[in-house]
Amino acid sequence: MSPEQTSLAFRANSVCALEDSALRAAMKQATDTFGTKRADAFAPVADLEALRDRASAIRDDVLANLPMYVDRFVASATRAGAVVHRAEDAATAREIVRTILADRGARRIVKGKSMVSEEVDLNSHLEAAGMEVVETDLGEYIIQMEGETPSHIIVPAIHKNRRQVGRLFADRLGVPYSDDPQALTKIARKALREKFLSADAGISGANFAATDTGSLVLVTNEGNGRMVTTVPPLHVAILSVEKMLPSLADLPAFLRLLPRSATGQTITSYVSVITGPRKPGDATGAKELHIVLLDNGRTEILAGESRDILKCIRCGACMNVCPVYRTVGGHAYGWTYPGPMGIILTTLLTGMKKSHPLVDASTLCGACVDVCPVRVPLVDLILGLRKRKVREGFADPRERRGMEAFGKAAAKPALFALGQRLAGAFWPLVRALGGKDVAGRMPSPAKTPLRRRLP
Amino acid sequence: MRVLLFGTCLVDTFFPEAGEATVRLLRRFGAEPVFPKGQTCCGQPAFNAGYEAQARAAAEHFLREFDGDDPIVTPSGSCAAMVKHHYPRLFRDDPKLLAKAKRAGERIHELTQFLVHVAKAHEAGLRGKGTVTYHASCHLTRSLGVREEPLTLLSSLKGAAFLPMPDAARCCGFGGTFMAKLPEISCALADEKAASIEATGADTVTGCDSGCLMNIADAMRRRGTKIRVVHIAQLLAEGL
Amino acid sequence: MSDAEMERIFLENAATAAAGTHSVSDTGDLLAALGRVVAIDSPVFCPGMTELEKAAAALFPVRAADYAAAAVTVEEVFGAVAETGTIVCSSEGGRAVQAGLLPAHHVAIVRRERIFGTLDDLFAAIAFAPPTNVTLVTGPSRTADIELTLAIGVHGPEKLDIILV
Repeated sequence: MSPEQTSLAFRANSVCALEDSALRAAMKQATDTFGTKRADAFAPVADLEALRDRASAIRDDVLANLPMYVDRFVASATRAGAVVHRAEDAATAREIVRTILADRGARRIVKGKSMVSEEVDLNSHLEAAGMEVVETDLGEYIIQMEGETPSHIIVPAIHKNRRQVGRLFADRLGVPYSDDPQALTKIARKALREKFLSADAGISGANFAATDTGSLVLVTNEGNGRMVTTVPPLHVAILSVEKMLPSLADLPAFLRLLPRSATGQTITSYVSVITGPRKPGDATGAKELHIVLLDNGRTEILAGESRDILKCIRCGACMNVCPVYRTVGGHAYGWTYPGPMGIILTTLLTGMKKSHPLVDASTLCGACVDVCPVRVPLVDLILGLRKRKVREGFADPRERRGMEAFGKAAAKPALFALGQRLAGAFWPLVRALGGKDVAGRMPSPAKTPLRRRLP
Repeated sequence: MRVLLFGTCLVDTFFPEAGEATVRLLRRFGAEPVFPKGQTCCGQPAFNAGYEAQARAAAEHFLREFDGDDPIVTPSGSCAAMVKHHYPRLFRDDPKLLAKAKRAGERIHELTQFLVHVAKAHEAGLRGKGTVTYHASCHLTRSLGVREEPLTLLSSLKGAAFLPMPDAARCCGFGGTFMAKLPEISCALADEKAASIEATGADTVTGCDSGCLMNIADAMRRRGTKIRVVHIAQLLAEGL
Repeated sequence: MSDAEMERIFLENAATAAAGTHSVSDTGDLLAALGRVVAIDSPVFCPGMTELEKAAAALFPVRAADYAAAAVTVEEVFGAVAETGTIVCSSEGGRAVQAGLLPAHHVAIVRRERIFGTLDDLFAAIAFAPPTNVTLVTGPSRTADIELTLAIGVHGPEKLDIILV
C-alpha cells in the first residue's frame, strides 16, 4: 500500500470512477443502505438536536484548550503506566513505531483499523524494515490483499462487491470461490486467528482519548480491535492529538452519536476502554502500552480559520450523503480521507499545492452539514478553502479573469446589460469555442431579457 | 403592498418567462411588484468560487439597489439564501453595511414563502393540470429551510395530481460553477435526478431554482425524456 | 425507571442486538438454563472466581484450562446497560476480558442488581478510576464490510447468551 497522492488529478480520477459500473453500483447500494440505517437509528432519539449541541460544545471546548488537554492526557496515561510519544509529523511517527517494535524484536504485527496509520503510511515503512504487518479488520484485510487503500473511513472496501472479494480470496488464499459474505467472513476469521495468536505486537488507532483517566477508547464491531489490544504482549496505539475528550464521563454522548451516524447501529458490538498496560494482578492487557500522539499539522490547523474540522469524530456520515462521494467513491480524492471532511482535511494536511482541485469537488448542497453529529460547518469550511485557493493563486487564470469581469459588471448595470446582450449575440460562438460542457448544457439567452420586458 | 422584485441574473438572462410569471402572481395577490432597473446579480457565483472581493462588489450593489423597507421577493431559494446568510458574513467588518445586510436578510422572501405566508395563495383555489412532481433544491431546503411551502402550493392546485419524488432533496449536480468545473460528475448527478423524476411517472417537474431546473432540463434532453421542466412561478401562474 | 422496567428494557435491547436472553431467579434455575444454552460436551472455560461461576463450573465435564482453547466461555460479568442491551466486562479483580472474546460462544451471567439504566450511569460509576480494561459488549461479533451485508462472528464470538440472575 503506497498512498501516493493523486488529489491533483481529481477530475481525471472521477472520470475513471464514473466509467466503472461495478464501483458505481457498489457505491450506490452502500450509501443508500447507510442512509436508511442512519435515519432508522436516529428515529427513536427524542432529543437529537440537544445531543448534537452537547457533543459539539464538548468538541469546541477540546479545541479551545487543546494543548492543555493533550498535556493532561499525557500525564494521566503516563500515570496509568503507558509510555506516551509525541510525533510532530508523519515521518517521526513512523520512526517511533518502528523503533518501539524493532527494539523488542517484534516481527509479526497485527493491526486494527486506523486511519491515522494510513495518513502516515505506516505499513510500508514497517514492511521495509522486514516486519510482517497484517490488517485484521475485514475490509482492511481485503484491500491490503488487493494492494489498495481504503475508499471509506468506516467501510474501507465499500467500493468492492461480493464477487470481487470472492475471487480475491480464491486467488490469494487458495480457498474455494464463494460470494456469500458470511462464508467469506468465516474464511477471514480462520486465517486471521492464527495471526493474532502468534503476533509479537498489535497496532491500533483510537476513536477517543479521555484526558482525566488517560484511557483510550476503541469503538469496533468485529472484535479484531479487542484482539489487537489484548492478545499480543505489546500494544502500540497511534492517534492524532485532536481525539481528546475532557473526561471519560463525556463518552456516552459520543457513543450515542458515533455508531448511529457511522453504521446506523444503536451501539457497536464492542467499545473498549483501555487504561494503561497490564498491571500486577491483572489478567487483561498488553504488558507494554505505547501511545503515539500525532500532530502532523494539527497545531497549525488549530490556529487557522479551518480549525472546526478538528471537531470531526470520523463517523463518515458526511461522505455517505455527499452526492459527489456517492458517485465517484473515495479513491478519486487521491489521499487518505475522502468526502466532504476529506476535502478539508486533505487540503489542510497536504497543502493547497498538492490538493487544490479537491476544494471544487462539492456542489455545496449542504447534505453533509445536515448529518454531521458534532456540527462541523463543512460547507463554510469548503468555502473558506476556496477563498484561500484564489488568494494563493491556484485558481484557473481564465476563471480569475472571468470573475474579475463579473465583479465589475455586477456593480455596473449598464455593463451587466451589455454583457447580457453580447452573450445572447455570440452564444453559438461561445458554445463552439469549447464551451460545450457549460454553454452546451444551457439554453440560449432570451432574445429580450426580463429587465427589458418589465416597466 | 409594494414589493421589490429581484429577478436574479439567471431568470433575467435565460428564463424571463419565470420572472414575468412571478410578476403576474404577485399582482394577482394584491402586491405591486417593482423591478429596480439597476439590479444585476446577488454575487453568488463569485462567492461560491472563492472570489470575495467580487462577491462583495455585487452584494454592495444589491444593497444599494434594494435599499428601503419594502419586502424583497425573488423566484430563487439559492439567491435568497445568499442574501440572508452570506451577506452578513461578507460585511462582518463593516458595521454600516452589516446592518443593511441583516435588514435585507429580514426583508427578502423566496417566492413560495411569500405566496404562502403573506399572500395565502394556497387558499385561492389555483388551477392546475396533469401530474406534477417537485425537486427540492439544496439551498432552498437546507440553507433557507423552505420545505413545506412549495408542497403546500402544489397540493392546493385543483385539477392537478402531485406525485412525490424519491430523494427529492438530493442535489441535482448543478452547484453553480460546479457544473463547469466537474461536468462529468454534474451530468451523472443530473442523470440520477432525472431517473428519480421519471420514476414518479409525472408529466411535469417543477422547482424553485432555475439553475437546477436548467441542469435537469439538460439531462432530460440528453435522455430524450418528454417530461416538461418548468419553474414553479410559471406553473402557478398558468392556473390564475 | 423501576428495576422491573430496567430489566425489561435491557432484555429487549439485548435481543434486538442478536444476543440470546434468559432470565432466571436462583442458582438452580441458572444451572438449568446453562444446561439448555451450552452443549454439555464442548470444552468450556469458566473462571470459577465468583459464587455463581463456581456453581456453574461444576456443571461441565469438559473444562478448558485456557480460554484460547475453549469452545465456550461461561462467566459472570461486571454488569449491564439497559439503554443499549449491553453487557460490561471488566478486568477488575484479575479477570481476563479476552476470555469472552476468543471462543465462538460467550455465555455471560449478569446479576439483576448490576444493570445500569444508561451509559451515563455506567460511566459515572467507572470513570473515576477505570480498571485496565472495560469492554462494552452488545450482541455477537459482526461486520458489514462486504456489501454492507451483515455477517456474524468475525473475530469474536458468533453467539452471545446472556443469563440474568
